Amino acid sequence: MTEIVKLQGLQKKFGKFQALSDVTFTVNAGEVVGFIGPNGAGKSTTIRALLGIIKRDAGDAEIFGKDVWKDSLEIHKRISYVPGDVALWGSLTGGEIIDLFIKLHGGGDKQKRDYLIKRFELDPKKKAKGYSKGNRQKVGLIAALSVDSDLYIFDEPTSGLDPLMEAVFQEEVEKIKQAGKAILLSSHILSEVERLADKVVIIRQGKIVETGTLDELRHLTRSTVTLVTKGDVAEMASVNGVHDFTQKDNQATFSADNQCMNDILKEATKLGVTKFESVPPTLEDLFMRHYEG
Amino acid sequence: MKEKFARSNTLFLQYLKRDWKKIIIWILGIGLFSAAFIPAFEEIAKGQGLIGMFETLQNPAMTAMVGPTPVEAAADYTLGAMYAHEMLLFCGLFAMIIAVLHVVGHTRKEEDLGLTELVRSFQIGRQANSLAAMAETVFINILLALFIGGVMASFGADTISAQSSFLFGASIGMAGIIGAGIALVMAQMMPTSSSATGSALGLVGLLYIIRSGTDVSNVDLTMFNPMGWTYLTYPFTENNWIPLIFALIFCVVMTVIAFTLEGGRDMGASYLPQRQGRESAKKSLLSVQGLFIKLNKGVMIGWVIAFVIMGAAYGSIYGDMQTFLESNELMKQMFAHSGFSIEESFTGTIMMVMIGLVSILPIAIVNKLFAEESRLHLSQLHATKVTRGQLYWTSIGIAIFAGLIGILFASGSLGGIAISAMGDSATMDIVDFLAAGYNFLPSLLFFTGLAALALGWAPKLGKVVYAYLGYSFMLNYFGGILDLPDAFSKTAIQSWIPQLPMEEFDAPVFITIMAISIALMVLGYLGYKRRDMIEGA
Ligand SMILES: Nc1ncnc2c1ncn2[C@@H]1O[C@H](COP(=O)(O)OP(=O)(O)O)[C@@H](O)[C@H]1O
Ligand SMILES: [Mg+2]
Repeated sequence: MTEIVKLQGLQKKFGKFQALSDVTFTVNAGEVVGFIGPNGAGKSTTIRALLGIIKRDAGDAEIFGKDVWKDSLEIHKRISYVPGDVALWGSLTGGEIIDLFIKLHGGGDKQKRDYLIKRFELDPKKKAKGYSKGNRQKVGLIAALSVDSDLYIFDEPTSGLDPLMEAVFQEEVEKIKQAGKAILLSSHILSEVERLADKVVIIRQGKIVETGTLDELRHLTRSTVTLVTKGDVAEMASVNGVHDFTQKDNQATFSADNQCMNDILKEATKLGVTKFESVPPTLEDLFMRHYEG
Repeated sequence: MKEKFARSNTLFLQYLKRDWKKIIIWILGIGLFSAAFIPAFEEIAKGQGLIGMFETLQNPAMTAMVGPTPVEAAADYTLGAMYAHEMLLFCGLFAMIIAVLHVVGHTRKEEDLGLTELVRSFQIGRQANSLAAMAETVFINILLALFIGGVMASFGADTISAQSSFLFGASIGMAGIIGAGIALVMAQMMPTSSSATGSALGLVGLLYIIRSGTDVSNVDLTMFNPMGWTYLTYPFTENNWIPLIFALIFCVVMTVIAFTLEGGRDMGASYLPQRQGRESAKKSLLSVQGLFIKLNKGVMIGWVIAFVIMGAAYGSIYGDMQTFLESNELMKQMFAHSGFSIEESFTGTIMMVMIGLVSILPIAIVNKLFAEESRLHLSQLHATKVTRGQLYWTSIGIAIFAGLIGILFASGSLGGIAISAMGDSATMDIVDFLAAGYNFLPSLLFFTGLAALALGWAPKLGKVVYAYLGYSFMLNYFGGILDLPDAFSKTAIQSWIPQLPMEEFDAPVFITIMAISIALMVLGYLGYKRRDMIEGA
C-alpha cells in the first residue's frame, strides 16, 4: 500500500498555547480516513499544517513522500481541499468562483462541474453574498470534486448541508474512493465517518488518542447485550467482562467487553439462552468513551 | 384601506423607541455639521475674505460642485450668503443619503431578513411597516430642521437671522425627506435591499450631476430637479420657501407611488427581476491577477474619481489665487516662499498634500490581502498551485499601478483645471504639474513598502501605516505655519523630497527612497513566504 499522507509527531504552538502536541497517523491510497474529535481538538490545525498554510514546529509531515512545507507547490497540484467554513467573494457568482478554483488548481473537468452543480442543486448564477452557509459549502465541494486529484482533504465538509445533500456528498466520496484515491475526512458527524471511513483517527487536545479500522476499535470496546435466559439471569452480573448490568424479570441488559465475549456466552448457555442480541458499539460510543475517560 | 395600515402608529412608536440612540447621533451629527461652522466662517469672512471667496466661487468648476448663489456683486456677499452657498447643498446631500440608508434598512432589508414576515403575523396591516418607517424618517428630519435652525440662530451672528436659519434647516430636513421618498419607491422596485440602496443612491448621484450641469449653464433649469429644491431656497439672501412646497408635493407623490407599488406586489417580490449573474467565469477572471483586479476595481475607481474631484477643486482656485491670498494672513504665511509666484508655491505644497492622500489607495490594496486572508477567502486557494509569491506580488503590483494612476489623475486634473482657470496668465504647463506629482512617487512607494512589510511580518499592524500617513500628512500640512525643528519634520517621509516646481529635482534622494521602498517590499515578501496564514483568528 502506498502511503499518501504520513504524519509523525506533529507539533504546533500558537503563542504559548500548544494546539498540537503529538499527531501521528497515515493515509494510504484507496483509503478513507475519518479524522474525528470535538471542537478545538486540533483537526483544522492539523489540516492547515498539512496544506502548508501554517508551519509546523516539530515532527515530520509528508504527502506523496514530499515535505508539506518545502514542497507544497508540487503537492498542491495533486490535492483538493474543502475548508470547514467556505468563505466566498460576495460580488462573484457561485459559477464564477467554481471556475476560478478549478482554473487555479490547474484545470478540471467541465462536464463533471456541470454534473455536480446539478447534483448539488446549486444555482450558479447567484452572487455569493446571497448564498446560505450550505450553498457556500456546495461551491467549495463542487470545485474540489471537479478536479482530478490523488488526495482529497475535507474539513467538516457537510456543515450546513441538508441530509439530502449530505447523502449526495457521501455518494461522490464513495466514487472517488472506488477510483483508488486517498481521502482525509475530518468530521464530527459520526454517522458520516462510520459510513465512509475505512480507518478512524481520534484526536483530543492536540493528541491522537486512537487509530485503527472501525473493527479494530470496536474490538477494544464494548457491545450492548440483551439476554433472556431460562435460569436466573442475575448470575450473569458477576461474570468477568460484564458491566452496567440491569435486569427486568428474566431479561438482562449489559455492556460486554468484546474480548470477553466467548466467556460470557459460555456462562449464558449454562443458564439456557432463549434470546441473545448483541449490538456493536457505534462510533458515537467510541467517541464518548474517549472523551469521558 | 385602513386595515392595510393598521397599527402603524404602534410600530411608529416602537421604531422611535428602538432607534433612539441612532436618532440622537443622526440629528446631532448632521445638525452640528450643518449649523456649527458659523464661527469658522466668521473667521474666513474677515478682511477681504468675503470678496476673495466670492471670486473663487464664481469659477464654474466651483459652481458645479457647491452650487450657485443669487448674489451678483461681491459687495452684497454676506456671511449668511457665503454660508448657504458653501454648505447647504452638501449638508442636504448628506441628510438625503442617511435617509435613504435608513428607509431601505427598515423596509426592504427587513423584508430580506424575514423580519417583516414575523411582524405581519401579528395583527399588523400589510403596509403598516412602510408607513411607520416613512413617518419615522419624516419625523426625524423635522426635528433635524428645527435643531439646525435653532443652533444657527443661537450664534446671533451678523446677517444670520432666525427666520432664515430655520429656512436653512428646513431645506436640509426636506432634502432628507426627498431621500426617504426616493428610497421607499426603490425599495418596492428592486429585488434586494442592496440593489434598492444602490439604485436610490445612484439616483441621488445622478440628480447631483445633472444639477452641476444646469447650475453652470442655466440655473432656472435646476428648478426642475428635486436636488435643486434643497438649495434654491437661498437662505439669508432671497429666502424663497417655494422650492420646499415643490419638494413636499414631490414627496407625497413618491410616497403614494411607493404604497401603490407595494400594495400590488407580494412580500419579497419585486417589479424589477433579480439580476442574474454569470453562470461561468469570463477568461479575464481566471488568474490571480484577474481575481485581484476584480476585487480591487471598485475601490480603485472610487478613489480615482475622488482624486479627480480633489484635483479639480484645488485647480479651480488658481484663477483667483492672488485675490484670495491677499485676504488671508494665515494662508499667505502657509504658502509664501520668497522668489516664486504664489501659484508655483501653492503647487508644491498642495501636491505634497494630494499625493499624501493618493497614498491611501496603495496602502488599502496591500492591506486588502490580509483582510482576504483573515476572512478565509484564500483558504481554498492555498491548496492550489497558486504560490504565496503570486498572491503577494500581485497585490503589490496592483498597489503600485494604482498609485501611478492615482498620481496621474490627481496631478493631471489639478493641472488641467488650474491651467484653464489661469487662462492667459498661466505660468506652468501640464508637464510641470505631472512632474511635481511624480516627484512624490518615492513617498507613495515608501508607504506601500511599509504596508508590505507589515503584511509580511505583522499583518495586524497594517492599519498603523495609515496612522503614520496621517501623522506625516499633518506634519506637512501644518509644518509651514508651525516652524518645526528640522529633525522633527524629517520624520515625515515627504519632507525629504524637494517640492517642485520651486525647488530642484533631487535625483539621489528620489532614487534612494525608491530603493528603500523596494527593499521594504522584498523584506515583506520574505516574511510573507514563511509566516503562518492567520485564518479567522
Ligand atoms: N491562528 C490561531 N491562533 C491561536 N489559536 C488558534 C489558531 N488556530 C487555532 N487555534 C486554537 O487551536 C485549537 C485547535 O483549533 P482547531 O484546529 O481549529 O480545532 P478543530 O478544527 O478540531 O475544531 C483551538 O483551541 C483554537 O482556538
Ligand atoms: Mg475545525
